[in-house]
Amino acid sequence: MNLARRVYALRWVALPPLTGAGVLAMLVGAVVAAPRELVEGDVQRLMYIHVPSAQAMYLAFGVVFVASVMVLWKRDMRWDAAARGAATVGVLFTGFALVTGMLWGKPTWGVYWQWDARLTSTLVLFLVYTAYLLARAVSDPSDEQAARYSAVYAIVGFLDVPLIVMSVRWWRTLHPQPIVARLDPQLPDSMLAVLGISTLAIFLLAAWLILLRTDTERLGQRLLGLRADVDRREEA
Amino acid sequence: MNAFLAVLEKDLRLAWRDRAGWLTAAAFAAISILTYSFAFDLATSDVRPLLPGVLWTTFLFAGVFAAGAGFQREGEEGTFDALLLSPVSPTAIFLGKLAATLAALVVIEFALLIAATILFDEPLLTPELVAIVMLGTAGYASLTTLLGTLGSGHRARAVLLPVMALPLLVPMLIAAVRATGETLGLFGGDAPWVLLLGVFAAWSTLTAALLFPLAVER
Repeated sequence: MNLARRVYALRWVALPPLTGAGVLAMLVGAVVAAPRELVEGDVQRLMYIHVPSAQAMYLAFGVVFVASVMVLWKRDMRWDAAARGAATVGVLFTGFALVTGMLWGKPTWGVYWQWDARLTSTLVLFLVYTAYLLARAVSDPSDEQAARYSAVYAIVGFLDVPLIVMSVRWWRTLHPQPIVARLDPQLPDSMLAVLGISTLAIFLLAAWLILLRTDTERLGQRLLGLRADVDRREEA
Repeated sequence: MNAFLAVLEKDLRLAWRDRAGWLTAAAFAAISILTYSFAFDLATSDVRPLLPGVLWTTFLFAGVFAAGAGFQREGEEGTFDALLLSPVSPTAIFLGKLAATLAALVVIEFALLIAATILFDEPLLTPELVAIVMLGTAGYASLTTLLGTLGSGHRARAVLLPVMALPLLVPMLIAAVRATGETLGLFGGDAPWVLLLGVFAAWSTLTAALLFPLAVER
């Protein structure tokens, strides 16, 4: 526990330079180092941000789920700050994945948007977590009851994901099936290496942003507490 | 069990005495069906391809509306806190509220099915369709009842409730529309839609019943 605390204390020293180096490597890798795809051309380079963004989205929503369970379990508002921070970042990366996907879809599929299973389920996730952020935004950040309600919503939303994915998969499918996450990856080694670097870079970026948002939310909560304290003293 | 029945009885009695809330939901549903008829010209063309979607969006909007109405009074008058203070398990309170919501929704839905049968000249009160409607309603009512409590007393709730509930209900909506289409002789795809509806109903009722006590804990 002590070790974890010490590592966590180093987050502002370690994460910014690591993320910076990672993102730089990702850009160089995606734009310069990776080979040009034969059929799709340069537009295929979007993969190096599209695929990691989609994975970072699941990472962030996983954090929201865990933090929401902790809000209900530990009754500690710090977990609420973490859940809100991760949800903001998750919505951001869902937006990235959707926008890069649309830009990639236009030249390869001929359309920006298709009611394909994976696109639809990603859009529904985007809506669920936007609703979560909206619900949390209109209530007081230090309101514990509202935090519990939002936590319940986030948990229901996360548990709904398999059902959403299943229903829209039966409904429509156009998106390519996974070509990386299996035992015999279908990508050339050079592309796979760049994709690995990009994934690492985006994960570092997501982690940094989540921690940044969490600390900001936490400061907001403390500020509200201090203000209430000052008000009480002035009245006394 | 007694607590469940007491809450159910209380809510049904309140719903009966203060009919305005439920009548508004029913009126809203009736207006939706009529609006759809004008917008899509449902009276003249072949309505069957559109009918499942029209029916289920109307059910869903009325259901979300009704879930909000069910907690309006509790929030305004502070009776919900009183209910939680009573020595009764929150799960029983939830199930009682859910049963009351379901009872009212089923009445509204039957009225709508009869109205749609008359308006669109399509026999809708078949046993299969009634079973699908019941299963679907059980699925969405438990989630809207849970979310309805969440926002009670909240100023932005009227808008928040649909924005929060509808994305969660996408699987149920797709399955219900497809299953309804199949009973009307439309192609529904090869997927087991009724099974998905059943799974969703079981999942949502279980999740909502388990999370409700945690959500309302003070």
